[in-house]
Amino acid sequence: MRQVFYLVRKNLRRKPFRSWLMIGCMALACATLFLAAVLSRGIQDTLQTSRERFGADIVVVPAEARDEALSVLISGDPTTFYMPSSLEAKVRQTPGVGRTSAQVFLRSLDAACCVVQVALVGYDPERDFTIAPWVLRKTGGPQRDNQIIVGAKVISAVVGSPEKAIGQRLIFMGKPFTVATILEPTGLGTDYTVFLTLNVAYRLTWESPLYPVPVNKDEISAIMVRVEDGEDPAAVAGSIEAKNPEVAALTANLLTRFFSRELRTLVEILFLAGGVFSFLALALTGSLFALSVRQRLREIGLFRAMGARRKVVFQLIVLEAVCIAGAGGLLGVLAGFCAAYFSRDRITEMIGNMYIWPGGQSLFAVALLILLAALAAGILGGLYPACRVSGLDPYEAIRKGE
Amino acid sequence: MIRLENIGKRYQRSDVLQRIDWRIADSAFVLVTGRSGGGKTTLLSIMGGLTRPDEGRVLIDDVDIWRLSEPELAALRNRKLGFVFQFPSLIPTLRVLDNVLLPIAFGGRSPNREDREFAGSLLAMVGIADKEKAYPSQLSGGQQRRAAIARALINRPSIILADEPTGDLDESTEAEIMSLFQNINRQGVTIVMVTHALDYAALGTACLLKNQQLFPYPAGPSPESAAGEESRHGE
Repeated sequence: MRQVFYLVRKNLRRKPFRSWLMIGCMALACATLFLAAVLSRGIQDTLQTSRERFGADIVVVPAEARDEALSVLISGDPTTFYMPSSLEAKVRQTPGVGRTSAQVFLRSLDAACCVVQVALVGYDPERDFTIAPWVLRKTGGPQRDNQIIVGAKVISAVVGSPEKAIGQRLIFMGKPFTVATILEPTGLGTDYTVFLTLNVAYRLTWESPLYPVPVNKDEISAIMVRVEDGEDPAAVAGSIEAKNPEVAALTANLLTRFFSRELRTLVEILFLAGGVFSFLALALTGSLFALSVRQRLREIGLFRAMGARRKVVFQLIVLEAVCIAGAGGLLGVLAGFCAAYFSRDRITEMIGNMYIWPGGQSLFAVALLILLAALAAGILGGLYPACRVSGLDPYEAIRKGE
Repeated sequence: MIRLENIGKRYQRSDVLQRIDWRIADSAFVLVTGRSGGGKTTLLSIMGGLTRPDEGRVLIDDVDIWRLSEPELAALRNRKLGFVFQFPSLIPTLRVLDNVLLPIAFGGRSPNREDREFAGSLLAMVGIADKEKAYPSQLSGGQQRRAAIARALINRPSIILADEPTGDLDESTEAEIMSLFQNINRQGVTIVMVTHALDYAALGTACLLKNQQLFPYPAGPSPESAAGEESRHGE
């Protein structure tokens, strides 16, 4: 087998331009497919993570603030809207609703800590089921009034590692707060959100001379809803809206659908391009490879005359095809990875800030899959000429090669 | 010993060889001549297990080679036979020494130091010892043919089948190559050579392939006896 490898290597060097052309075609197809697959994998990861970390099955907001709510929940765009807090009790009475918890959204006016303007959200640590359990787990106790919980991307640009921010004091609306903990990235608006206790949020709007319109304690911005076990969130959301026409009930699925629409289009385009490139690469590489084998018929006949078995000739051709496909696949995966890495900011910007790039394990899995697909294509591409040529009598191969 | 029994071969319904019976003794030097396209190369290929006859048997040392399995036939070609072709047959991507060692690799093992030394001595024997690191494109036609002869001998075969090995060479190179074959034959290797160079007919027994049949050349007794037992060491 070592000798077969040696002959393959020597043969690939015989016509370097042709070899590199075949490898290049394969690499282009693999790079595009890798990029498409990485983005697609990213969508799945993001949707899964978002659903898991969103915490609520339904978010109830004022009907007229539906789009603004989507904006704050998806991107963390600081915005405010309010509705009577009495609605929470009405929502809680809707069949299928398990738990509810109110939140109030404020606009940060002097986020000196942060490179981006952040959303300030007040929540009730006693009743909340979206953030509170996580805080309890991380800090060992509920959030206190002098503490804030910050989203994953709020202060990382200033402090460097987010962990370094824990315990630091930050000023919001003229009041000092200690960073209790940092939330894990969600790909949602929470990454750009600072969480305060509900009481403090109300108080800040009254006490800060900078806040334009104080928020009353009977006003809330959103009601987080968890449905009872076995209930369909979409059906419950429909019931809430039917009973309370003044509100909009947004489900986690709706949020993620809204997010993924744009990204899916990009991925579809990439997959389409990858498919076209793959087809062209296979056609071109297949033709060039078949031509290369045809041109070497006499040589193959000579090998047989020297005592090479059919199996050896078969291995020689298939291995050559596999080497071309493997090298193309490897280069393609590397190129795809570089393309993804160096354009990640641009892609994130295009898609919106909620996209989460797949982790190392996912990237490795995608790379492995593409590489295996390339090798499989190489094996398939080499099989036909290998079967055809190895089946010839040595003399026939020599004659046809003349 | 090589025995051909009732060999027949057709290409596209046209007979190329018909009912050929032939016996070649060990260590014989046989030259086959005939007009171009007359089936000489086909005859050599059938004898060497490169193409299957439509009829008849080929026995080498009493083994019917066309009844062997593919791996067995490949092993026979590898160990018992050496081929020298009429066209440049060196692999252009390999150095001369690697070309010579190629049949060893096809025999299923990597060439060792002894093999390399033997290959070097063969290259010295054919007169191109200084070319072992050269690529075929750096050799003249005669040198390429010499390297091909060295390659045919690397597995110490008992039979060399040479198909017009001097066809495209000048007269002096042709004489050198023929002398080389004569020396190889003197070492006990059977040589069956297709050639138009009948000036060298005296080296062994000559046969004429005409009308799909073998005849002694110049005309004489039947080819079986002409190339038969008495035809040893070129005498």
